[in-house]
Amino acid sequence: MPAQAILAQFEAAAEGPLSWATEWKRTHGTRLLGTFPMHFPGEMAHAAGCLPLILQEQQDPITVGHGMIYPFYCGYTRSIVDQACKGEFEALDAIMFGDHCVQVLGAADVVRAKLPNTWVHFYQLISSMSDPWSLSRARETFAQLKAGIEEMTGQPLADDAIRSSIRLFNRNRDLLRQLYELRREGRIQFSARQMQLAVKSSMVMDKALHNELLKQLLAQLLSARPSTGSGVRVYLSGHFCQAPKTGILDLIEDCGGIVVDDDLYHGTRFISTDVDEVGDPLTALAQWYLARNLKVPCPTRVDQKADWETYLLGAMERAKAEGMIVLMAKFCEPHMYYYPEIKEAFERRGVPHLLIETEHELNMLEGLRTRVESFLEVVKRRAGAPTRRVA
Amino acid sequence: MSTVASAPVKANRLKTSSLNNQLVNDYWAEVFEAKQNGKLVCWYEGVAINPLMQAADVAWVHGEAWSALLAARNNEEPAQTAAEHRGYLKELCSYARTHIGCGVLAQKRGAEASGSSFADALGAGLLGERVPAPDMFISAYPYCSTGQQWDEMLYRLFGKRIPIFNISVPWVWGNKKDSQYLGGSEFNEAVQFMVRQLRECMNFIAEHTGRKYDFDRLCEIMSYVKQAGRLRMEAMDLCMAKPAPASFFDWTTSLAPVNFIKGGPAIVDYFTKVKAEVQERLAAGEGAVRNEQYRLFWDGIMNWNKIGWLANKFAGYEANMVAGRYTHMGFWHEWESIDVQDPLAGMAINYLVCPINLSAPLMIEEIIKLCRKYEIDGMVLHAARTCRAFSNPQYLIAEAVQKRLGIPVAFIEGDMVDESFYKDEIVSSRVEAMLEAIESRRRAGIAA
Repeated sequence: MPAQAILAQFEAAAEGPLSWATEWKRTHGTRLLGTFPMHFPGEMAHAAGCLPLILQEQQDPITVGHGMIYPFYCGYTRSIVDQACKGEFEALDAIMFGDHCVQVLGAADVVRAKLPNTWVHFYQLISSMSDPWSLSRARETFAQLKAGIEEMTGQPLADDAIRSSIRLFNRNRDLLRQLYELRREGRIQFSARQMQLAVKSSMVMDKALHNELLKQLLAQLLSARPSTGSGVRVYLSGHFCQAPKTGILDLIEDCGGIVVDDDLYHGTRFISTDVDEVGDPLTALAQWYLARNLKVPCPTRVDQKADWETYLLGAMERAKAEGMIVLMAKFCEPHMYYYPEIKEAFERRGVPHLLIETEHELNMLEGLRTRVESFLEVVKRRAGAPTRRVA
Repeated sequence: MSTVASAPVKANRLKTSSLNNQLVNDYWAEVFEAKQNGKLVCWYEGVAINPLMQAADVAWVHGEAWSALLAARNNEEPAQTAAEHRGYLKELCSYARTHIGCGVLAQKRGAEASGSSFADALGAGLLGERVPAPDMFISAYPYCSTGQQWDEMLYRLFGKRIPIFNISVPWVWGNKKDSQYLGGSEFNEAVQFMVRQLRECMNFIAEHTGRKYDFDRLCEIMSYVKQAGRLRMEAMDLCMAKPAPASFFDWTTSLAPVNFIKGGPAIVDYFTKVKAEVQERLAAGEGAVRNEQYRLFWDGIMNWNKIGWLANKFAGYEANMVAGRYTHMGFWHEWESIDVQDPLAGMAINYLVCPINLSAPLMIEEIIKLCRKYEIDGMVLHAARTCRAFSNPQYLIAEAVQKRLGIPVAFIEGDMVDESFYKDEIVSSRVEAMLEAIESRRRAGIAA
């Protein structure tokens, strides 16, 4: 399949996740298990024969949802409530989640109230990551989740099935990491928008299908001769539950930035860490849960062994990024807490960064253009040399 | 009926409230002197785990209580400004912003310890600067993820050198069919998990004090807490009477003794006197507001900047705020569950069923019971701008009480300790509309 056709498939799943999943359910007869982002393992749902689907912020204006939640909530939370109120989750057989961001919990209560015939289950993941009991508690939670899935499907969930799904998911992460590495090295041309579509569609599509498409895409990208481009090498940070609007990604690149890496949830954060494929799968998932926070620290967790700001400075260096753009979803409390830590660390090191507060309602693009252009000029001036050539 | 507040009317507040002020003042005076008296100081947030520290002779600073005190005494702004200067945005929990701002101030006094570029943000001599710097942190935040992150930020602000202990409080959600208030297999498992962590927390405290943990002392403290909890609930029950002799605002100003004041004879004495005053008023037919026409329920957290203002405002409407989620569904309200010989499970139960940690279906049932018990005519929902923990279920609560009890509601906007979010004219218009709706229902013979 041509690369453009593959990307079109990714786009269809990424931009219309519920339609894509509903059609998959119709044609394959699988149950749909929706999850909230950010730390919930889809592997177990897949092993139970379900299609795990990470529920996404939709582009539609929020309307009836405002009758169930205040406007001072992040776009993701408001969008989820809005979708539930509009009946858009009707095709889901279950929604399961484990993160306890206070805003998402508010959405969860509304979702359960609006979907009385859907299994809306909560399995609280311990968010304090460096306690002596963090690992055992995470395993206990995954055991409860396993029991919940078994109750929903009416079938026992075998360890071998979970291991098999773990292998499939690891392969998916590996393929996406290859895309990242090739882009970082300048060996392929792949825009920030295209990268987001590749990762976001993985949160929706059947993993075996997604793997197959990724393999074909990688082969074609590698065989094409990359055109050399120039621009300021930009690192994107932030945006957890919801994907940044692709309009913002396009704008950054239109202004002369080249996105070379990120720690976005719809990016590196999602694919950073693999699960051990042998041994007890519940222990492996619990270890994965703790390990990924050390690999790419998450501000929604507390972990005395992790430093997000230190990670970001290192990641920028590895990617040879010249400036960082922080995308903060408005009202995102974890990000608001950690931003001063990042700001101080970057100021101390003299690394330029720009904070952009984003909203569900995309009404600030032109104002943003001026800020991004100015920022990229500042980065260029600081570099004190002609713009670095890419590839 | 008076739906427009006329000349200033004062609420008939309980006289015993002044005793609470004395307890609070004495408590903070002792905290300010803690270092000079050779005590370690623990900063903590969330549920009332202070008995754990008290039993080990450690002084404690409850972040929310401290922020509320600053707001109640109009001294919150410098700390909030210090936090904003460091980069914390205004939409962040105002309790946290205020407390973290105090961390910035405390660093200033600690001088070289800081490393913060904003340590010089404030002048000297402010109340917010008097809170002693921590020797340990304990985080025990129910439901609200922001609480745990707030403590983590303090840990980082103080250079990651001060030991921190996290108690993870499970949300009472209810996946299973046997889930119910105070019961079911998930709830029981959560209680056991909490007990394990409380034991570990005692070990943590013992490790840092260098002394064996005094469990017998904890039991003794909890016996006072239990008595205080019982007396408070009994006093509040007396407000089923019409007119209600005390109001939600009285119970709000009486939270300190069941939240962070030392567990001892003083808190029992306090609630004994409060209950006696309520009984006296009951015998005399004296209400908390003059000519009680409306009995209201307050959903949401308190607006500490406006406590007296709001008490008088509602008194002006002849509306008695009889009960509330904040006061009636927390603060050792499940005192009966405390076994004074082995109090950990009872403590865990009270922490788990605090006013934000129940999922909406369980919470709504408890609120409906209270509305029926106190014969509520209308509900005021305080949408605290930076407290999503309290604001989260409010539309579901409003929907349920309107459908099931037929009572009108009014949403008002404000905040815990950031006064800028409060807009009085909007509050007035919404409350007046609700009172009109109550009147309308009465005229139609729908309600008493």
